[in-house]
Amino acid sequence: MMESKTINAARGELTGKKALPSLPGLLTKRIIGLLLLIFLFLLFVLPIGKLIYLSVQGTGGFSLQHYTEMLRQDRLWSTLIDTFIIVVGSSVVSIILGVAAAWLMAYTDLLHKKALHMAMLLSFILPSYVLTLSWSSFMGSQGLAAQFLRLFHPDATPWSMYSYGGIIFVMGIHHFPLVYLLTVDVLKKIPRDLEWATRASGAGRWKTFTLVTLPLALPGLTAGGLLVFLASLDNFGIPAFLGIPAHISVLSTLIYEEIIGFGPSAFARGAALSVLLGLFAIIGTLLQWLSVRKIRAVDTVVIDHSPRYTLGKHRRWVSAGIWTFLIVITIVPLVSMVAISLKKAYGLPFQAANLTLSNYAFILFDNPKVWESIQNSLLLSVSTTIICLLLGSLLAYVRVRKPSWMTKSAELAVALPYTLPGIVFGLCMILTWMEPIPGWNPGIYGTIRILFIAYVCRFLILQVRAGITAFTQIDTSMEEAAHIFGAGTWRKWISILLPLLLPALLSGAFLVFLTALTELTVSALLWSSGSQTIGVTIFSFEQAGSTLYSTALSSLIVIVIVAGMAILHFIQKLQSKKGVQPQ
Amino acid sequence: MSIQIVEVSKRFGHFQALNTLNLNIATGEFVAILGPSGCGKTTLLRMLAGFEQPTAGEIHMNQTLVASASFNLPPEKRRIGMVFQAFALWPHMNVTEHVRFPIRHHKETPAAIREKEQERITNVLQMVGLSKHSTRMPHELSGGQKQRVAIARAIAAEPSLLLMDEPLSSLDAMLRMDMRKEIQSIHRQTGTAIVYVTHDQGEALAMADRIIVMKDGHIEQVGTPQDIYLRPQTEFVAQFVSKANLVRGNWNHDQFTPLYTDGRIQWEGSQVADYFKACGKYPVRPDQFQLSASHVPGISGKVTNVQFQGKEFHYHIETEDGVWEISSPQPFQLHSTVSLNLLRDDLT
Repeated sequence: MMESKTINAARGELTGKKALPSLPGLLTKRIIGLLLLIFLFLLFVLPIGKLIYLSVQGTGGFSLQHYTEMLRQDRLWSTLIDTFIIVVGSSVVSIILGVAAAWLMAYTDLLHKKALHMAMLLSFILPSYVLTLSWSSFMGSQGLAAQFLRLFHPDATPWSMYSYGGIIFVMGIHHFPLVYLLTVDVLKKIPRDLEWATRASGAGRWKTFTLVTLPLALPGLTAGGLLVFLASLDNFGIPAFLGIPAHISVLSTLIYEEIIGFGPSAFARGAALSVLLGLFAIIGTLLQWLSVRKIRAVDTVVIDHSPRYTLGKHRRWVSAGIWTFLIVITIVPLVSMVAISLKKAYGLPFQAANLTLSNYAFILFDNPKVWESIQNSLLLSVSTTIICLLLGSLLAYVRVRKPSWMTKSAELAVALPYTLPGIVFGLCMILTWMEPIPGWNPGIYGTIRILFIAYVCRFLILQVRAGITAFTQIDTSMEEAAHIFGAGTWRKWISILLPLLLPALLSGAFLVFLTALTELTVSALLWSSGSQTIGVTIFSFEQAGSTLYSTALSSLIVIVIVAGMAILHFIQKLQSKKGVQPQ
Repeated sequence: MSIQIVEVSKRFGHFQALNTLNLNIATGEFVAILGPSGCGKTTLLRMLAGFEQPTAGEIHMNQTLVASASFNLPPEKRRIGMVFQAFALWPHMNVTEHVRFPIRHHKETPAAIREKEQERITNVLQMVGLSKHSTRMPHELSGGQKQRVAIARAIAAEPSLLLMDEPLSSLDAMLRMDMRKEIQSIHRQTGTAIVYVTHDQGEALAMADRIIVMKDGHIEQVGTPQDIYLRPQTEFVAQFVSKANLVRGNWNHDQFTPLYTDGRIQWEGSQVADYFKACGKYPVRPDQFQLSASHVPGISGKVTNVQFQGKEFHYHIETEDGVWEISSPQPFQLHSTVSLNLLRDDLT
């Protein structure tokens, strides 16, 4: 009853109505719940319906002509092959790196594991286009790699990043933390006495690994592998920066080029392509969901953090090797990128005389478009974060404390936009908001408002997930105790729930903020003059060949990210000092 | 606070958790609700707290209606304290803040307590023996100390009803014995009515003024600990509370003749409930048997298992009527044949 009261009150706030007691109250609650569900459906699910509808709409009603035409084009088939090569290649790189990292972190006695764990995640926290830019400046003719190679041979040039290999490599190192994160927990949860039991029954180390450890870890590995597959399918930044100049296209960049190149006349073709890409993503998601369920089935034991294998005298070397690897894949390219952004002109050697801050001054003060894009991105990410923090936390609370088909479908609906590849979702947004009701254009498409709607729809699930994790960790009895000892709903949130949840909710909000601030894929489709974002600006600098400006703006983003993470870390430290164990 | 529970039922979907329950609790009474898991005892407690609403019937506290099928007074408006199973301490508050919370936020807190908040906190912490730990955080406390904080918080605002939901089940065996004493002394000092839910018959027998034995959503028996233990009214109470063996035989008024004997053995049973007389059984507790060598007349049985427990032995003895659990200070070897008789009952 207490929960339903809270919900009543919460819903009352939303609709501006007071919660009614008893039977009529129950009925209004039902109706308000249904209305909210319909609202979520219109906002989150209907756009996909519009996309499918348009893709099967010919000149005279229903037709599959867009699909038959699409399948006849050679470009589609070459794109599919490229997509396959890049997605599979980068997934293999991620899985190998991720599993190796997870095994070392879970089972051996490496030094400084906590710091290592954070460092592992760095390449994923950076926006993919920033990582791409840092690698292309590192490996470019001006980069550190080229300078290093010239020490050995004056004509040596590093391997070009604008190639299949380059795309696969950057995507692989960008996504390997996903595999690492999923696998490390699964490995730690395999009870060590199972391994002991196998050894005691006469199996050697290798047999133990192949007959016990590997089969038990397989669901985690599969889940991680599929997650990386989905992320690679979705990724737009890396193939856009490295593939488009080299005429390598994947599905996401192909859709982008169709829509940007041909405008509304290409919407139907784009829609057919998007349905194809969306289908791959949905199938991948279903498989991923199934394998995660399998993890849960064996997930009955506690996480065992203590090491199982001692590296002995190799401990130092292995630790140093991992650090070197992590520094080489992220820090060194970033340094190379910052170095280029400080040069007076592209091509000058890195010397004190050639260094300047004028590139930063230009993008911050002299170029109104850049300043506008920074303002836009800040405005968009701050407003999206606030809306998501409120709505997402509320939805998560109702989902955890009042599980029913209604709240479950609400969560599913909200998850849909994030499940779809960004470029597909972007097209859905155009189709929905150009004319929400046929014949009526409210002027949302073509302004910053469509970006705002798209960001909220796409990133709300991030806050919901963070909220769900946070709320499930707080036992209902904490809330019940508050009520017993005299607290009403309001007092309970102020004195009990918020102090306990704030760090978790804020780190969810920070994720939303960061993702929105550096967003590229959806914005690349939805931006218009005056509503460009930071990601779009860096992309257009890069396409125009203004490397000095794109690297300068990217360096600024890196600084913002590092500062944000430091603040978040500080808040969590403060909280854990007060005795609340962070999860 | 006097409580009347009138014809209360609770249904969760198709599951009938409570079935037309009637119960009165007097002011200052210590009532234990005893039953196995799923018997509805927790549902009943949560209804008294205000977390669940009855689907039928009414609950009155001090002659005012607090819950019915169409009305539910929220927990924060009832003058109750509660000790939760897993303590439910708020991880971000220290001991003093826990005790202060109800004093400050409960609208029913007596003015005298509210005005002398600090004095009350000191008193309550002293009562539970936590004076030295007033600034500790929950994670710096041991299990027993956490329990004391939970109790201190529950009594701080002088509630007229104290609810306890298996409060000792998260503690280890030694600590549980100590805490029983604490809870009894809290009850004596505050005079608050206590409703104590447990599945441990030892706790209920040791502390309560009155025990309510529940099974499958209804009350099996209500009575004093002695009543429940010595004079069970149903098979369930006999087996669940006093671990009795049900010896089959024939009743002739108050005389009982066990099966598989030559008829010369007669047990006196004026205290045995009519239910057992009607179905031809005699509930015999493990300690009620007298074991003797096989030549003594009695029910003949064979020792199939022995466990030495210090002051007595626990036997499993196989008779023609089945395997019985018996405890006795007399030593017998495994596989030896013994003769069983009813011990003269001094407790009744």
